[in-house]
Amino acid sequence: MDATTAMYVAQGIHGLAYGMVLFLVASGLTLIFGMMGILNVAHTAFFMLSAYFCYQVVAWTGSFWLALLLAPIATAIVGILVERFLLRRIHAFGLLFELTLTIGVMFVIMEAVKVFWGTENLPLPVPSLLEGLVSIGGMDYPIYRLFIIGLSLVILGFLAFILYKTRMGMVVRAAVSDADMVNALGINVPRLFMFVFGVGTWLAGLAGVAIAPILTVFPGLADQMGMDAFIVVIVGGFGSLGGALMVAIISGLLSSYGVQFVSQLAPVLMFIFMAVVLAIKPTGFFGEREG
Amino acid sequence: MTRRVKGIVGGVILVILALYPWLFGIYFTNVIVTCAIFALFAVSYNLLLGYTGLFSFGHAMFFGAGGYATALALTHIEGCPLLVALLFGFLGAVALALLLSPIVARLAHSAFAMLHLAFSMLLYTLALKLRGITGGEDGIGGFPIPPFRIPGVVSVDMTDPLNFYYFAMAVLCGSLWVAWFLTKTPFGQIIVSVRDNDKRVDYMGFKVPQTKAIIYTLSCGFAGIAGSIYAMFQNLISAAALGIAQSFAPIVMTMVGGVISFFGPIWGAVIFAVIEELTTRYTERVQLVEGLILIIVILFFPGGFIHIVAIVKGKLLGFTRGKGAGLIKGKWFGK
Repeated sequence: MDATTAMYVAQGIHGLAYGMVLFLVASGLTLIFGMMGILNVAHTAFFMLSAYFCYQVVAWTGSFWLALLLAPIATAIVGILVERFLLRRIHAFGLLFELTLTIGVMFVIMEAVKVFWGTENLPLPVPSLLEGLVSIGGMDYPIYRLFIIGLSLVILGFLAFILYKTRMGMVVRAAVSDADMVNALGINVPRLFMFVFGVGTWLAGLAGVAIAPILTVFPGLADQMGMDAFIVVIVGGFGSLGGALMVAIISGLLSSYGVQFVSQLAPVLMFIFMAVVLAIKPTGFFGEREG
Repeated sequence: MTRRVKGIVGGVILVILALYPWLFGIYFTNVIVTCAIFALFAVSYNLLLGYTGLFSFGHAMFFGAGGYATALALTHIEGCPLLVALLFGFLGAVALALLLSPIVARLAHSAFAMLHLAFSMLLYTLALKLRGITGGEDGIGGFPIPPFRIPGVVSVDMTDPLNFYYFAMAVLCGSLWVAWFLTKTPFGQIIVSVRDNDKRVDYMGFKVPQTKAIIYTLSCGFAGIAGSIYAMFQNLISAAALGIAQSFAPIVMTMVGGVISFFGPIWGAVIFAVIEELTTRYTERVQLVEGLILIIVILFFPGGFIHIVAIVKGKLLGFTRGKGAGLIKGKWFGK
């Protein structure tokens, strides 16, 4: 392989890794939206919170693997508490209040993080097992990025299995299309909401831990990821996991190749892409209803 | 309140505003100008959210468009009069709104909100990248502020903070009055009907997308005026005025002040000015306090400050129906 192809492939891997992390964040967002109708503005704040949890666990125990296990669970617990004690109480008032409440939650998390951990960048080393490069077919790939892609694929498979092959997944899918009807059939929908919110924040937390060693941990982490995740959900279609996956990968590749070819325009490419798609089909690629 | 009481209250407020700089000094004069700018910004936002039921995540782009239009006019046009610069700000925001309205007027709910997020981020990024025009991160600053001049009659120096205070307050309060008047017209009733039941409005023969486009454009125009005054007041406009944080400000103010009332957002702006004034003395984490207040207000008083006032009034005067809880029952947004 010559140098140019190698460069393309390397950029592709970068894009893919970013796209997969984006998918992890966006999948939680789209699940929550599809089911509860809430545009969870605080979602990326959870993502960032998990990165901080990860930093803390690594600081205490020195083990990245333990952090990968514990930080997303801790984040999910915070998420469940927010759903149970804040969102559920105002569910009856309608979506506007739930949405603005998540703005408040976002403010609080973003600032609380600064209170506890300060505002500077906290570096997090890549775990020693995943350091360095691996050579496949004469090409060097950074192991950690491949690990991120692999981890996301595992999660994707796991999600797909739960959603399409189990009874619980069936109930979740039914609630996504009509929560009131599912409630009428005798299923405890508020508890289902809580569960889905927990899973959604867990996914965001997982993405936060996965990205932390690459980007380091800092308060701007949420902004960097947040906008892209929102775009992925909107363009893919609210509530559509497949759409989120497709657009997340497109988005990752667009940003990595965009930087290479049209570096001046790269930051706007995604927004233009989104504006064009929404102007033509307001529900996004696979969205069936207007959110 | 009777018409007469309202007139007296309005008169008292005007007198207080007129005497304000002498009572409180120049520092608090600047605080109140900022507060009034955000009050107009939040009210313009509430014309969309509270009155028409359109939730936008990108209202700051019109604020910024107004600011940039004014700043560019004052920088590049030799001897541009003050009011023309203000007009540029208004028209800049209106032009942007007209450009977007064919796309967004067909949408509602999340798609409307998110498309605005996309466009405002697009403009934000462009404002950072197009350094030749917008000055990048530094923004446009140090442009001359022309005197307020009516040829042959009067010429008032606007670099004097006191004079600028009167000019800014006149423009902002005037705009607020126009916005208030707008909501009392038949057109104001139609936009409320669009919020409550757009299909029915359609059956009655009103054109829903066009109505939305008109109120959208007007709302954006008011935001442009707020941005224009902001640019002149700070003598600086930067990309931050277009950013997502700037878009959250009117949302938060409207919710805390009260989405159910015209005056809610004004109260919201006042409340946030006070919070900022008080908390910056003790902590850097102003947003933490703001976020907590937002959460508490939404949890316990979904109608915002206006709702609290209504409850207190009800308790004191024995009214059972205040302007609050009843209105909140309707679904404002979404399903």
